[in-house]
Amino acid sequence: MDVKLINPFLQAFAEILPQIGFNTVEKAGLSLINDTLEYNGVLINISFVGPLKGVILTTMPINNAKQFATKMTMGMEFAEFDAMAQSAVSEMTNMVCANACTQFSQIGMEGLDISPPTVLVSEKGIASLPVPQTIAVNLKADEIKFNVYIAIV
Amino acid sequence: MPKIKVMIVDDSPFSRTVIGESFSNLGCEVVGEVDSIDNLLEIYAQCKPDIVTMDLIMPGADGFECSEALLQYDPNAKIILLSSLKDEETEAEARRIGIVGYIQKPLEEELLERIIQNILAPDDLYNLLENKGAEIFKESLAQIITRTTKKPVKFTDIDYKSEALSSQGITTIIGIIGRYTGTMILDLSFELAESFVESMLNRPSKNQDELFNMVAELANIIAGSACSMLNKQDKSFGLRVSPPSVFSAESAQISNPNLNLQVCNADTGEGDIFLGIGFRKGTVLWM
Repeated sequence: MDVKLINPFLQAFAEILPQIGFNTVEKAGLSLINDTLEYNGVLINISFVGPLKGVILTTMPINNAKQFATKMTMGMEFAEFDAMAQSAVSEMTNMVCANACTQFSQIGMEGLDISPPTVLVSEKGIASLPVPQTIAVNLKADEIKFNVYIAIV
Repeated sequence: MPKIKVMIVDDSPFSRTVIGESFSNLGCEVVGEVDSIDNLLEIYAQCKPDIVTMDLIMPGADGFECSEALLQYDPNAKIILLSSLKDEETEAEARRIGIVGYIQKPLEEELLERIIQNILAPDDLYNLLENKGAEIFKESLAQIITRTTKKPVKFTDIDYKSEALSSQGITTIIGIIGRYTGTMILDLSFELAESFVESMLNRPSKNQDELFNMVAELANIIAGSACSMLNKQDKSFGLRVSPPSVFSAESAQISNPNLNLQVCNADTGEGDIFLGIGFRKGTVLWM
């Protein structure tokens, strides 16, 4: 897998998050893992098909997801990771992936499209992806940590 | 035939007058005018328009934010973005939000008429997907499972589900891309997955990877076969499937915000398979 292919996704996070209330977006780490990963809390799955096929997973602990939703709703507090908070966080990933498709089209990869997001909430969850290698990126948006896993077939 | 009702969202009184005149010339009735997000939902609820025109640049909340608020209030709101700006990024953002049309200012009445006709025409193709899609996925699942286990499958009726689903153990998600985008969710217990492996290989699974691979392959065949059947019904669906992702946990909640999922359970005799399928309506027309 060509690691450069993750750049449009990272660029999309850097472009979209400031538009929805975040001041800083930092990359805190990047690694190559195999097809299986563990997550605790919230996972959002978005698939993409076109000149590339694959999946992008965004994971974060429930408290971080609630903080994300609070930021996105301009300060609304969430006691639970309820339907509104889930909608906000899944919308964030939807916006980022849609923006990534635009970024890909600008480098000549046109026709990439994404599926609607699915949200999973679980402790000690396991995700098995359809690729031998996955790129794991640790990101921080205004000190809220989250992970992005990019698997391109 | 009743007049088409229009609501205009624009901060400029001059623009509202010009847009209003164009619609009146086409025989439409302007039932509401709004200059900002402040009274947007209130006026929308009062006048119940068939179409909303949305200016992009307004003080305070812009046309995107107003559209998002409106679509959250009424996901079926038909919004046309009217803007002097027209670039790829604005178009992409409008599509993402769910705005159904985009016209560059100044307005051409002929163009406006065409876009109104298209927006208000019933989306027969989507209705076909909504009415037949889940049945076809069900049929595909039944064929694959019966072929694998040599036993018939009994289904519950297809229903709509908006609340979260509790996983039975293993969840497979497949994205569907084409004229409409969607998602298929297949959920079953470890025990049922194990019994499928034994039916197929005449031995227990060697490890969890093998179990997950079998479930992924099963989901892939079901989704691929169902999409082929739908594409045969109408080529313009152009449905393609993403590779499957498999998830497992002792207790997981699964939800699809902003997607109307059609669901059913398949009783295989050894346990239930949950099948969920949902599609999102696309953009109607861009000028």
